[in-house]
Amino acid sequence: MKKTILVIARKEIVDGLRDARAVMASLVYALMGPVVVGLVSLSVHSGKVTAAMMAVFTLVSAFVGGMSVAMDTIAGERERHCLLPLLLNPVDRRSVAIGKWLAVSFFAVAGLAVNVSGCLAVVTLTGMRTTSPDLGMVLSAAFALSALGLLAAAVQLVISTLTNAVKEAQTYLSLVVFLPMGVGMFLIFSPAANGPWSVLLPMAGQLLQVQALMNGTPFQWLAAFVSGVLTVGVAILMLMVAADRLEHHEIHYWS
Amino acid sequence: MIKTHRLSKAFNGRSVVRDLSFEAPDGAITGLLGANGAGKTTTLRMICGVLPPDSGVVSTDRHRLGALLDHMGIYARLTTRENLEYFGRLRGMPEGLLEERTDWVLSVLGLKAIANRRTAGFSQGERMKTALARALLHSPQNLVLDEPTNGLDVPTIRSLRDLLRRLRDAGTCIVFSSHVLDEVRALCDKVVVISEGSVTAQGTPQDLCSQTSTHSLEEAFVSLTCQ
Repeated sequence: MKKTILVIARKEIVDGLRDARAVMASLVYALMGPVVVGLVSLSVHSGKVTAAMMAVFTLVSAFVGGMSVAMDTIAGERERHCLLPLLLNPVDRRSVAIGKWLAVSFFAVAGLAVNVSGCLAVVTLTGMRTTSPDLGMVLSAAFALSALGLLAAAVQLVISTLTNAVKEAQTYLSLVVFLPMGVGMFLIFSPAANGPWSVLLPMAGQLLQVQALMNGTPFQWLAAFVSGVLTVGVAILMLMVAADRLEHHEIHYWS
Repeated sequence: MIKTHRLSKAFNGRSVVRDLSFEAPDGAITGLLGANGAGKTTTLRMICGVLPPDSGVVSTDRHRLGALLDHMGIYARLTTRENLEYFGRLRGMPEGLLEERTDWVLSVLGLKAIANRRTAGFSQGERMKTALARALLHSPQNLVLDEPTNGLDVPTIRSLRDLLRRLRDAGTCIVFSSHVLDEVRALCDKVVVISEGSVTAQGTPQDLCSQTSTHSLEEAFVSLTCQ
């Protein structure tokens, strides 16, 4: 099963990397956040505001990084009639779902890595943060953000299994991007909602951790870990839904 | 061998396949002949295991089954060779054997010249041959082909027929669906005529002509399906 998962994941990653237009779009989005925030920081002299903006862009980049691959890997394959030959093989449907999920996650985490690196470069260059983040802080944020990438990939995969064509998947996946944006905006403009529990929640937790990383404010290690674990838990639940969808014969009958 | 026993399938209350039984022996080419919408593709999908029947049983070794169903479904951003290697690895073929078999199918189907080209932009015939190569890659004992000559040029059709005859002579069980009567007459040892989801007749092309007191497979087919 492990070998099958890796074979599927590898193929999807190679396939995704050869889609130059999609890779370029994801890269441009991942870097757009730092560039916009960098420009805004020239006129707004509040580090907190720009850090909050940056955190929202980071959250969204998790959902944009793997979006093209997510819509292509199931809905696109249905549309191009590639899913049926794949499912004709004596391969466990869960392995198919996990392999595709790992590939989408790869792109989501790559998008996050590009975005966070860009953000750190901006905060350093604009003097918003004068001290370097310590290794523990970086590792902790990397764990929590990677978990967010896994969650974004799982959500997108479920949507892809529910749609018949790339265009249809794109419509819904574009709407899903508003979810992290909404969470981010809600926490920024409703400080009352920003209670001690917020840092534990998937998306909200990552948002607050990225803000702390950019601001250089104290970091709650345990909360970051719990938030990461909870996020992975939700991602696995979503992945199970995607795997279950692949078991339904309608998914390939009309492909 | 592929054996179906009283297979039935309905979609949204509409019966597509009804009590369909036939046997395709090893070392023979069995043709499923039927008009558009007769239930051939649904039957083949049930044989391949991607569509569960509502009732009835399919007996075959699916681990030794190769299939080319109604759509080719090859990956446009992968080369012909990469497409084949991907499916070979999914079937757990050892790397040495995979390389050997890949070279063999590429050679047999005349795909060597385009083996390292991405399949985007391939002609219908090239895509069909790539999909056929994928179905033959793991030396399947049972081969299911849904209208495999669609889009192929005459020389390729002839070489495909030769290949199928060689596979049959080597003991492979081949189930072949078509609505092209010349194709069926030229290739099939046994013909199963399907009409509105049920088997209306089966036997050799000569048997069908005798049963219907006709002189050609075309007349026999019309007689069996238009009653």
